[in-house]
Amino acid sequence: MLMAEHIKNNNPKSLVCPFCPLHCDDIVVSTNNEKFSLPNANNINCGKRIESFNINKRSLLVPRIKNIETTVSSALNKTKKEIIKNKEMLVLNHGTDMSGVRSMLNFASHHNAIIDHVNSKFLHQNIGVVQRTGYMATSLMEVKNRADLILIFGNDILDKTPRLLDKIFLSSNSLWTKNSKKEIILIGAFSSSTVAKIKKKCSVTNIKIKLNLIPEFLNAIDNCKMNKDLKISNNVIIRISKIIQKAKYMVATWSASDFVKTSNAEIIINSIAKFIVEINNYRRAACLPISGSLGDATSSQVLTWTTGFPSRLKYLNGSFNHDKNSFNGMELIKNKNIELVIHINSLSMNKLELNSKLMNIVIGHPNSKFSSMPDIFIPIGIPGIDHKGIMFRTDNVVSVHLKKIRDVKLPTLKYIFDGLI
Amino acid sequence: MIIHLKSGKVFDPTNKIFNKEKDIFIKNGKIIDRSDFNEKVDRVINCKDKIVMPGAIDLHTHIGGGKVNIARLMLEEFHIEDHDRFDSSAIIAPSTFKTGLKYIEMGYTTCFEPALLPINARQAHSEMADIPFIDKGGYALLGNDDYFLELLRKKASQPVINDYVAFILKATQSIGIKVVNPGGINAFKFNQRALNVDEKSKYYNITPRDIISKLSKAIYDLGVPHPLHVHCSNLGIPGNFLSTIKTIKAANGLPIHLTHIQFQSYGNNGDKRFSSAAVEISEYLNKIDNLTCDVGQIMFGQTVTMSGDSMSQHRNRKHAHPNKWMCMDIECDAGCGVVPFKYSDKSFVNALQWAIGLEIFLLAEDPWKVFLTTDHPNGAPFTSYPHLIKLLMDKSFRNDILHQLPKEILKHTILHTLKREYTLNEIAIMTRAAPAKILGLDKKGNLSNGSDADITIYDKKENDIEKMFSHPIFVIKDGHVVVENGKIKKYIWGKTHTVKPEYDASIEKSLDKFFNKYHTMKLENYIIEDEEMNTLIGNEIIVNKCKYKRKQ
Repeated sequence: MLMAEHIKNNNPKSLVCPFCPLHCDDIVVSTNNEKFSLPNANNINCGKRIESFNINKRSLLVPRIKNIETTVSSALNKTKKEIIKNKEMLVLNHGTDMSGVRSMLNFASHHNAIIDHVNSKFLHQNIGVVQRTGYMATSLMEVKNRADLILIFGNDILDKTPRLLDKIFLSSNSLWTKNSKKEIILIGAFSSSTVAKIKKKCSVTNIKIKLNLIPEFLNAIDNCKMNKDLKISNNVIIRISKIIQKAKYMVATWSASDFVKTSNAEIIINSIAKFIVEINNYRRAACLPISGSLGDATSSQVLTWTTGFPSRLKYLNGSFNHDKNSFNGMELIKNKNIELVIHINSLSMNKLELNSKLMNIVIGHPNSKFSSMPDIFIPIGIPGIDHKGIMFRTDNVVSVHLKKIRDVKLPTLKYIFDGLI
Repeated sequence: MIIHLKSGKVFDPTNKIFNKEKDIFIKNGKIIDRSDFNEKVDRVINCKDKIVMPGAIDLHTHIGGGKVNIARLMLEEFHIEDHDRFDSSAIIAPSTFKTGLKYIEMGYTTCFEPALLPINARQAHSEMADIPFIDKGGYALLGNDDYFLELLRKKASQPVINDYVAFILKATQSIGIKVVNPGGINAFKFNQRALNVDEKSKYYNITPRDIISKLSKAIYDLGVPHPLHVHCSNLGIPGNFLSTIKTIKAANGLPIHLTHIQFQSYGNNGDKRFSSAAVEISEYLNKIDNLTCDVGQIMFGQTVTMSGDSMSQHRNRKHAHPNKWMCMDIECDAGCGVVPFKYSDKSFVNALQWAIGLEIFLLAEDPWKVFLTTDHPNGAPFTSYPHLIKLLMDKSFRNDILHQLPKEILKHTILHTLKREYTLNEIAIMTRAAPAKILGLDKKGNLSNGSDADITIYDKKENDIEKMFSHPIFVIKDGHVVVENGKIKKYIWGKTHTVKPEYDASIEKSLDKFFNKYHTMKLENYIIEDEEMNTLIGNEIIVNKCKYKRKQ
């Protein structure tokens, strides 16, 4: 059967993907009852991940209290009682859409709750640059059409955003840059298969240095002079410097979570930002930080415009207050400085780490995974799969309109939060 | 419910009513005539010794969109310093919540975001949907997007350009079109650092004059009420008044609105090569009928500048205070730059900027053509409007401040010679009737029967005009009393004003090809449909009429 025919027979729909910060909208899915599949999944290496959100035998489609099935209204009533009983409450966001974040804020303002995002640590590393020095940024379409040199710092970035390479960095359609004339420089330990894949389309160099040495590497490029700690020959440094000097539009990209094992993540990000800022004194260059896959950009954007702060908030005395340390959700859970935790999970397939010594309520999609069963579980729909929504892309400037592609009659996060007010 | 505003001193310039005692009746959110109802009045508000005006309209204020959120994020330290009863966000970059509260407290009921990047429109509308009380709208940015510049390079016909402009208005749910540094933002991406009005961009071989000419004609042909909203070339550069005059001429006599003209009225005379060209600019403003402007007055103190003009903002980075800034190239569409800045009353340049803005106000012969703005927050936060009104209405207050500024500015400004004091009539025109007229909002900015019941009531007994305009006694929005005795009484949510001129849908075929090949999203997902505005974004839409049926 031809692919077109297969799609036609199975009610094809266009998916605006909610599961990675690229939020691609060119993915065709076919649906059969409530099951969706990607006919061209083999060509899109994130296809299997998307399909893993299909309902299966282990999906939790009904609310549970102490692992016993119940109704939505009973689960809401029980949750309300727990909210009244417990004094300090944290809402920890593992990913949701704009409407979800808005409803979370509304809920927090009624119950004096703390709000945090599970990836706040990485968010703050990127935001730290904006708040300390600022930098020169760019967006995906500019990179696709304009970038003739791309510096990729880290090592997991291409796995976290699988289509970044084919769809953006090495797109066959570009207004001004042919792939054959592009250069990609990988800084970090990239797999030989990644290097080989890039090599098929454009010139590539892998600078295999430890990530904590990125500032020294950039310094060496700046001064065109080798640093012995880097263990790279002077010829390589000179060659890279020349490539950079020749570039008309250079882009530096990274994912803050790649630097998690270094002790100097903020210094690394600062050094990249500063390097790009200085190039702009003479030529054009820009940064493209890649944010996390759990609606990180959506959360920080909505919280910022609503309160002035991107995360770690508590509603107190009639307004939202921010404290990066006191309202650190992960630390509050770890140190049991909180009584009740409401985990919000519209998007994550990561196992949610619950501290079983606290009261845990999970409002999550049916395939949510937990380290231990929560006290209350309320299933909700996935934005972009079960209901419409809006999410922000990694470049923080483009937001996408998510569509509904299946109908399993799950409530939205907003519906649940509204029921708790 | 019927509300009766009894015996107020009414200022309603659209109906040529100035300081006349009059009763006003409100029903179902509209102003109605006494003869139009038989029911009993539910509430009488005694307006004796009160001044009654239509709700104020800010036609140029940066209240939503990517650059506003960058500023909020960047300036965390100011948020914490500026905590008040609403939230701790700083007034130079307020939260959406605080924006609505502060505007309504001052009696402003409708505001327009002037730099709505088409690709960022979804965000801008989402932010504005979270601003309580006020009606809002946005001007979509064109003139630096690669699709449009390619049309110009290929010498596309005016009707095709008109189709594209009309498509953008519809797709982005906007009420007007703005051009920022025409072609300059795009040229900056190709590493050009300046672009004069008659200079060709290196890649597209197009001048800013070409862009102004085509876009102003498109707006005219489509019958869009608000003229092309123009942020001129060479913003902030000494001697830029010549660019401003050339930009005026580029519109070929068609309507054009020059925004934050204070930043575009600089000469380069004197020892410091910086002087006022307010007189030269005002001559043009006074003699050309189709020309309007808003001033973009600066005030002394900390603020943050934010603009789509990444070329200028990158140049301004060295003036950043505190020393941080951010610029961005955006989606082959436009750009942006955020640079915090502190205007100092000890600085010759800043003091002269302050004087230039006031000169433009005071030299304007027709208050229907000059609008009161600070280009919030670029010149100052919008909360400084009452202070600005006092500067315009009180010569001795103005001169007292002038004489505290560096003496050398007196050689370069005529401000001390200007004796004019604005009247309440003129303030009502420039903050209500005139912006409504220039935006085509026939139900706003006036107190006619059938108009929206957006009304501000001030205490006539308050002797200090700044205090009077800071804290109206009552503010009524859509017929609801939302501020009473200076306190917020009720939360309501405003609507979004748009305009949707007709166009030949075949432009979408060409756009679809461009999107599929070069964009990072599909055309169908770029367009913001009415249903998305109403349900997901949360803005009820008002579609305002065009002036006439499309000409071409």
